Amino acid sequence: MKRSAAEIVTEYGPFPGVEAVHGVTYDGKHVWFASGDRLNAIDPASGKVARSIDVAAHAGTAFDGRHLFQIAEDRIQKIDAASGKVLSTIPAPAGGGDSGLAWAEGSLWVGHYRERKIHQVDPETGKVLRTIETKRFVTGVTWVDGELWHGTWENEESDVRRIDPETGKVLEQLDLPTGTGVSGLESDGGERFFCGGGANGNVRAVRRPRRG
Amino acid sequence: MESLITAAARALEAGDPLGALNRVALRNDAPSLALRGIAMAQLGDLAKAKSLLRSAARAFGPREAVARARCVVAEAEIALVSRDLSWPVRTLAAARAILERHGDLANAAHAGHIEARRLLLVGRLDEAERSLAELGAAPLPPASQVTRELVVAGIAIRRLRTKDARAALDRAVRAAKLAGIPALAAEVDSASCVLDTPAARLITRGEERPLLLEEVEDLATSEALVVDTFHHAARRRDIIVPLGTRPVLFALARILAQAWPADVSREALITGAFRARHLDESHRARLRVEIGRLRAKLRPLAEVTATKQGFALTPRKTRQVLVLARPVEEKHATVLAFLSDGEPWSSSALALALGTSARTVQRALDELARSNKVQSFGHGRARRWMTPPVPGFPTTLLLPGPLLKT
Repeated sequence: MKRSAAEIVTEYGPFPGVEAVHGVTYDGKHVWFASGDRLNAIDPASGKVARSIDVAAHAGTAFDGRHLFQIAEDRIQKIDAASGKVLSTIPAPAGGGDSGLAWAEGSLWVGHYRERKIHQVDPETGKVLRTIETKRFVTGVTWVDGELWHGTWENEESDVRRIDPETGKVLEQLDLPTGTGVSGLESDGGERFFCGGGANGNVRAVRRPRRG
Repeated sequence: MESLITAAARALEAGDPLGALNRVALRNDAPSLALRGIAMAQLGDLAKAKSLLRSAARAFGPREAVARARCVVAEAEIALVSRDLSWPVRTLAAARAILERHGDLANAAHAGHIEARRLLLVGRLDEAERSLAELGAAPLPPASQVTRELVVAGIAIRRLRTKDARAALDRAVRAAKLAGIPALAAEVDSASCVLDTPAARLITRGEERPLLLEEVEDLATSEALVVDTFHHAARRRDIIVPLGTRPVLFALARILAQAWPADVSREALITGAFRARHLDESHRARLRVEIGRLRAKLRPLAEVTATKQGFALTPRKTRQVLVLARPVEEKHATVLAFLSDGEPWSSSALALALGTSARTVQRALDELARSNKVQSFGHGRARRWMTPPVPGFPTTLLLPGPLLKT
């Protein structure tokens, strides 16, 4: 297992009226984050909030190319990114104990915070297709280049780790400075991860290690 | 971190404990238990709240020290509000240290305020002040500022520094407005009432009038000779003659001061100070002895002169004699004074606060209950006493806000 200190590239925020960040995603242009009662889109170049959608947003956020998916209470809402309308909802697999959310390969991947699990879910029905066990409390979840990464948070310590999607074994780990939380995780498909800063209300860009 | 917990915590923060309960009522994981505990506390079911918080603290894992410590702080606050003064202070201090170490300064300060409030309640003002000073003046969230200023005001009121108290209460009002929590604003309001309600009675030349705390404070700088029934002392400015350990001498001084400038007959002095039913020669002899002692004691402040029928007081260096008395004088006034904070007290907490035996307090409470001056509820060790009438069930619960935030 490779282990190193996380390199924080940029910090965005704090944002007016935002107490905490609960989920993060990226639509190729904007970084979206969930802040309780709305979704906010920030321009990663300027760090300014470009747009927001009023919708219950208590945990993970994901984007499938057209729709935003947002966990609220014990369900996952499918939101039209253009209009901001909630199109449908499915039950969340952890019944409210859900944390992170990612979209990949036609499935939703949902972190089950205290159970230390990641569920693969059918986005149409909410049916759990399979479950991956991991070692620590799961916050954000993301897929990039066939790699499954998730954030953790336990006793004021956070890291971002790549795990084997079959066995749950930790393959690589980036440690964040003590007291820096990760709530919400998304890759930009390139060299950056966007991480929610939890109660600190910030969003951070962390460098993704290059494959050599 | 968890969706439903976030939703419930937001409901709690917005002052909607029922909305929070709706979301986590059936869940028994650690954060849900903690949230349910706080919601129950805000709804007034302190016993249930305490047991839920205790279960939550147990359910959090060994790596969740901070979450655990927050539960301990919340439980300590419930203990304080329910006047369970025997709750272990060291547990609170340990929790506070953990929160400090992990940078949760707002909740660490909250723990410190609970400690200071407890000390204030049991009258250990110096320690309360020290413990506040230790917390420093670091910027705190508005709700914490309110608690802090309330403790500062409480100390100032007990110390008779009304200007300081008013200033602290003004700051508390501003912070409560910022915090936007209605219960907190109400708390500040009721604390401010203390300054606008008569705190004492002034008796002079056979007349009485109520005094506000500010006016009581002014007496300390007035020229008058004051016989002070709060401190059982006679004083004029810096000259203080304590008579706390000599109740008979104090009683004589008070009777003489109340009658001043007139004199008081021997009979009136004997019945008033000795509580004697039949007068005989031995009483007259004793009166002579006690007056002699009082004369010696009061020498720096006044003369006690013999008149045809009895004795009279002649103050030195002033032409005014005042008696400062409690607003309502009755037996067990000190017990009532503690209960008048409107909170439910256990008899053992009262005994601790008064520094007397539980038996004595129990006797006083039983007597007061017979004349409907106090009421009790609960049974056995859970029995609590308070003064009627009670509007609802006032609590000063300010449980750690960001209990479940990362």
